[in-house]
This record gives sequence, C-alpha cells and structure tokens, in this order.
Amino acid sequence: MTQTRRSFIKTTLKAGAFVSFATHAPGLLVRTAAAAQQRERDTVLVVIQLSGGNDGLNTVIPFGDDAYHRGRPTLRQMARGAHKLDSHLAFHPRMEGFYRLYRDGLLTVAQGVGYANADRNHPGGMHNWHTADPRSPKLQTGWLGRAADFLWKPGEANVPAVFVGAIPQPFASNAAQVIVPSVRSPRELISQNFPSVGRGVPAEPSQSWLDSLRRATAQVRSNNRRIESAMSASARGDYPQFQLAEELRAIAHLIRADLGIRIFFTELGGGNIGGFDNHAGQLGNHCSLVHQLSESVAAFIRDLQRDKLHERVLLMTFSEFGRSVRENGRRGTDHGAAQPVFLTGGRLKGGLCGAHPSLTDLDKDALKFHTDFRRVYATALDRWLGLDSRSVLNAPFEPLDVLKA
Amino acid sequence: MATLTKEQFDPASAWARYQPDARRPWNLALAGHLYRRAAFGATWNQLQRAVADGPQRTIDGLLRPSADVAAFNRQYDELETPANDENSSNDLRAWWLQRMIRTPHPLLEKMTLFWHGHFAVNAAKVNSARATQRHLQLLRKHALGSFREMLAGIVHDAAVFLSLDAKANRKAMPDEDLARWLMEAFTLGPGRFAERDVRETARAFSGWFVLQNELRFIERERDAETKRILGQEGRFTSDDLVRILIEQPATAQTIVRKLYRWLISETAEPDARLIAPLAESFGKNLDVLQLVETMLRSNLFFSAAAYRQRMKSPVEFSLGIVKGLEEAVSTPPLAEALARLGQNLLHPPTAKGWIGGQNWINHATLAGRHNLAAALLKSDGPFGGKLNPAAVAGKHGSSAQFFLDLFLQGDAEPSGESSTNADARRAAYAVLTLPEFQLA
Repeated sequence: MTQTRRSFIKTTLKAGAFVSFATHAPGLLVRTAAAAQQRERDTVLVVIQLSGGNDGLNTVIPFGDDAYHRGRPTLRQMARGAHKLDSHLAFHPRMEGFYRLYRDGLLTVAQGVGYANADRNHPGGMHNWHTADPRSPKLQTGWLGRAADFLWKPGEANVPAVFVGAIPQPFASNAAQVIVPSVRSPRELISQNFPSVGRGVPAEPSQSWLDSLRRATAQVRSNNRRIESAMSASARGDYPQFQLAEELRAIAHLIRADLGIRIFFTELGGGNIGGFDNHAGQLGNHCSLVHQLSESVAAFIRDLQRDKLHERVLLMTFSEFGRSVRENGRRGTDHGAAQPVFLTGGRLKGGLCGAHPSLTDLDKDALKFHTDFRRVYATALDRWLGLDSRSVLNAPFEPLDVLKA
Repeated sequence: MATLTKEQFDPASAWARYQPDARRPWNLALAGHLYRRAAFGATWNQLQRAVADGPQRTIDGLLRPSADVAAFNRQYDELETPANDENSSNDLRAWWLQRMIRTPHPLLEKMTLFWHGHFAVNAAKVNSARATQRHLQLLRKHALGSFREMLAGIVHDAAVFLSLDAKANRKAMPDEDLARWLMEAFTLGPGRFAERDVRETARAFSGWFVLQNELRFIERERDAETKRILGQEGRFTSDDLVRILIEQPATAQTIVRKLYRWLISETAEPDARLIAPLAESFGKNLDVLQLVETMLRSNLFFSAAAYRQRMKSPVEFSLGIVKGLEEAVSTPPLAEALARLGQNLLHPPTAKGWIGGQNWINHATLAGRHNLAAALLKSDGPFGGKLNPAAVAGKHGSSAQFFLDLFLQGDAEPSGESSTNADARRAAYAVLTLPEFQLA
C-alpha cells in the first residue's frame, strides 16, 4: 500500500476521527452489482426430490387397465373421484392442483422414466438419480452441482444454485467448485443489521480480490433490499399449510428478488429413506404426500403466474424409483423401477409425454422404463438452462420435446 | 496496509530470512499477517508481544512453542474419543475446532487442517467415527514431521481406503481409484504418470481390505508378480509405493506448490524458479517443519506478494474473531455454521478437498459470514455470549479504533465521520464485515 494512504490513515486516526458506520453505500459499487443482476431475465429450474420411492401407479393411475385393479386389491384408486386425463389415466383424487395445471396446459407428465438395471435399494437408487451416471457410482459430484459449477466462475458473487429445506443437502447439488447454500428461509440470505462498508478506495492491481469482495459486499447489500421487498410484495401469495409449500414460497420470494439464482432444489418426504417408502399401510400416507405435492406446486405456479414469472420457471420432480405393480399383502408396495416425472411451468406444451408403461410386461414386478431419466435432465439443462448437457451428464442424451418453442 | 515494496525477488533473496530494516520495518500489520497464516489469528497481547520480540523470535515460538503440547494433545485425544463407533463424526469436528482455539501450538493445527484438505478424507464415507479419529491423529502426528512417514501412514490408513471406496483390493480385480488419487492428488499431480502406472500401482495395493473399519492384509489376495511403476520394476508392495512416489521430483513440487498457496499466496501461481530450490531440499529430507520454517521466515512471506493474498477460509474467518476476542466459544454450533459457509470439517466436497480462494465467496456465503460474525458477537444465541467485545476493548483501548487495529491492523479505510461512542459489539461487527477482513 502506498505511503500516502498509510499516512492518511494515521492522520485521520490521530485526529480522533474514528471509523464511522455511516449508512451510505459506495454508489459506484452498488450500481455495478445491480447492473450485473439486471442482465437478461434468466430461466430458473426448480427440482423437487420425492424421498422414498414414489408409487407412480397411484399418482398417475391407469384406472382403465384391469391389471392395475388385479395388482392393487386394497390400494387401488377407483375411477370415481380421480381426475381423468383420458379414458385410461387419472391423477390421484387428492391431486386437484396438478389436475388444474394439467387442464391449463401448464403440466407435462413424462411417463415411464428410468434407466437400465435400475438400482432398487434406496441409497443406490437415489445416488444414481443424483450423480446422473449409474455406471460411475464413485462420481464425486451431483448433476445439479456440476450444472452449478458451469454457471459460475471464481470472482463472481452470484449464487447459481440453492437448496431450500431443513434436511441435509442431498448429493445431487454436490459441486466441486461452487458452494451451494442450504437455506430454510430467504431471510438466511440477508445479512443482519448490515452496517456500511468501508469507504471504497481504488484498488491496486494486486488487490483485485479486494475489488471482487467489495462488489460482493455491495451485492449483499442490494440483495438485502431486494429480498425484503420481494417478501413484502408477495406476502399475499396463497399457499397451503405444508412444509413443501413454505419451501416453494421461499423459492418464489427468491425468484421475485431476482438474485440470479438459476437452480432451486427442494425435497418432500424428509430425506433418507423418506416418507414415500410405504411397504405397509400405504394408502393414507401416500394420499397425503401426493396431495401436499400437488397443492404446494400448484400454489407456487399460481403465485408466479400473477406477475408472469411462471414463464421463467421449469419445475420437475424425481424419486429414486417407482414401486411394484402388485401390492405386497401388507397394504403396501415394494421398490420398483420406472416412474412418472412431473414437469410444470409457463412454457411447457402440457399433456402426456410417452405412453404409460405396460402393467403386464414387467421387470421383476416393476414397470419397465422407455425414457432414460437423463433425457429429462438434458431437457432441463439444454433446453431450459442453456447449458451443454453433454458436459454435465458426461454423455449425450436427447432432450424431450416438452417445451414450447 | 503494511508498507511493502513491490520488488521482484530472485529465488535466493525470496527465501532468505527477512531482516527488518528502515525500508521494510517490522510492525503490527506484519505481526497480524504472521498470526493469520501461521495460526488462527491473535489476541491483542500476542500482537503486542510479537511487535516487541521481532519476527524471527516470534516465529521461533510459533514453530517450537515451549508449552507442553504433547500433554495438551493427549488430553484432547481423550476428550474427543467417540463413545462408540456408530457415533457420527460431528463431535470430532467440534472437538477439533475447540483444539484449534485452545492449543498452545496453533501452527500444528493449521498444518493438520492443511493435510486434511490435501488427503480430503470424508467422514460420511468412512462411516466410522473411530477410523476418522485415527485418521485425524495420523495427520496431526506428521503434520510438521516427515512427509515420508505421513505418506506411509496414509497408504495404510483404513479411513483413506473407505473414503475412496477402495475397501476390497482383490488380486483379480485391483481397484484403480485409490492408485489414481494417490498419484494425481496426493503426490505426483495430474499429467505426471501414465495409465499403466495407475494399473500397476493398483496391483501393488492388492491384498489390502478394510474389515470392520480396520485395515487387514489378506495374503491370498496378494499379487506377488512383478510390477512396473514409473520406470521401476520389482515385486512391489504398498510399502514400496511410498519410496517410489517420493523419489519422483514431482511429488515434492506438488507439496511445495500447495503449501505455497496455504502459507504465501493464492492470488498468483508461483514461478517455477521460486518453487525449485524448496522442492529440491524438501525432496531430499521430506521435512515439513523445515519447509514451513523456510517459508515463514522468508522475505517473500513478509512482502506484498504474500500480504492479504489469500482468502480466509470459514475456519480462519471465524477463529480470527474468536482469538481476537480472547474467549473460547461453543464449537458444535460453530461446526454447523462453518458447514453452511462451505467448510464442513471432515466432509470436504470431493476427494480434491476445498479449492479455497475465491471459491469460498458468493453473496450467500458472504452474507452468511456477516451473520456468523453477528451471532458470535451477540450476548445470547447459540454461541452463548461468550465473546465480550466491550470488555476486550476496555482492557486495551477505545472501541472503534481498537477493533480496526486488532482485526485489520489499520488496513481499512476509515471514513472521516466520528463515532467515538459506538457500542462495542456494533463497532466490532462493522470492522468484521469490511471486505478487507475476508482476506488473510
């Protein structure tokens, strides 16, 4: 540091003018941070993990198929009350929200999603969906983490991905480069009672890291205001009283605050061997979970629709596996394979993508897949986030034709 | 900021001992710099004593403290021992942080943390609190000792095998991942070996299995045939690997470069000529203490090329506050808070450890650092009001200027307005949230 500046500090301090905590921000820095955030309004991906292995057959119900009724003597949902998608399929009766989204063309069901030789153990199955590479069980990062790494470079204050939820962050967002924060509320991204930053001084070349830090500090300050105002502006959003709904509300606040976060990751079922794992007495549990999923997601999309933000959002679900076609004698189902993946947002074509898998041509009592799950990921990466899915997934996968041009 | 010249050093003068003179005086700023790098920060009294003692005598104390370090560490070894093997390693994280705060030999813990980042064992994969503890003790034992012995310990450490998913090294199916990580991350570095070396090294590990969290050698799984590794041929075993790998100059270069980032600068890659003399002597004696000593005592260490040229890790950020305010805090919540900032001790994100530098910082982690500083300073909450900035400031000087001197040694630009009677917590918080405080 220059002698001039050092003597300036000395004289200032000697004169008894102590450091002050004025509330003004260095204008230039704040403007720079705001400019960085006001680039094109980016697309946002929201991923919901359904922990435990969702019973796709009781979510998208093939009520027109005798094999379904034979396999599910106690667990079957009758056609009456279910939300018919066509003469063959219906959403679970408690999925009113999903049904309305579907009717409005905002929801697509990708059917028969899975992969070859699917792992039917919880940790292995989940790990495969997290790494997106079942052949490389030792992979050290998750697909969302790798996507986050591609969306960021050192010196940028932007946070490309956030996990919203109370459970430990699932492996899917494990990144090698970037730190993906876990939050329960947008308030955790606000710095408390933030005082002024030090007065900006022109940095020397060797102090470019200090420049980045000053920009990041200014961005924290502007984020504080953006988050506060997004939270008060959207307080009226009408969400049901579920934890997932609270998490999606937090995500809506953060999307509205426009902080540049591109990937949101959240969870339903409680993590580990989660609530969707119903080997016995499945009916009530599963009904409650799909209801929470459907109504929370619908409230989220409706909230975003108010200011057309839903057009920037693609939401997708996944689970570690589907479940067995036949119930197991304890009014439950066992681990299966292929599952339906739900996609919703403002730019989806809507409807069904791919046929419902056969209930008679099975793989050890589980549905066979016809759509590799990496094709869903590739859709999100290539067609939505604008990344090169091949470098994230380490192999080429053809995106699904589910998005409007 | 310290009055540091921007001179270019030739390797000989860069690594020569720093002798203060009128052009490069020893002062509070350089004392703060030394304690940030060779320890986890300092109390006001430590800084004052360092200024009085001069650099080399202060470094003597940091390298070879007179206190009974062994007794201290024995006590903490007992305290941290998990009640049973099923325990998670979360208690180990908290005990380690407590040890970093209270140790009479902070440089030893700083270097243990360095090696933890280097070997990057993940307790979640080890899934045994005792094996994780043994690993941490291995790192500490050799942290300032012989790299040869460190590596010999590492290639026979159950936690390393478990962390790299290599618990069964069968003759018929040698696992290549352990061999690859050993060469690429721990010793030679990328591009310094061929695929064939990996395969042959994997064969040299055959016979090693982890059974009930202990490493066992199963003779019938041993591949006794000749292997060819890095140009050498023989019926090599895992013991031979240590010798073969440390004979390679690339290994010493990897360690010296990594330590350069740890102790001197993350902002610029060092010139090969600067690394060469240290790598040459380290390659011969593998003496970590001597390498650390050379770096710490050097002209380069006390120059603009090093000063504020590192980003504080979350551990350094938080413990700098704790040390400066002269108290220990409750470390289980601290370990959790550090995990949220991206440094979950004993759980590095990948087997490459933490990248560090600017990768620590984004707007979420920066806001998180501010909030952690606020929580540490608060009179209630998870950290229990242990830190008392008003009392510390009262002992040593008036609050606002004192915190600037204590935490930044004058490196921040104070604005002209006066606020002499600012509340001590608020004053401390204002200093700790300055961008300058993030730099080590």
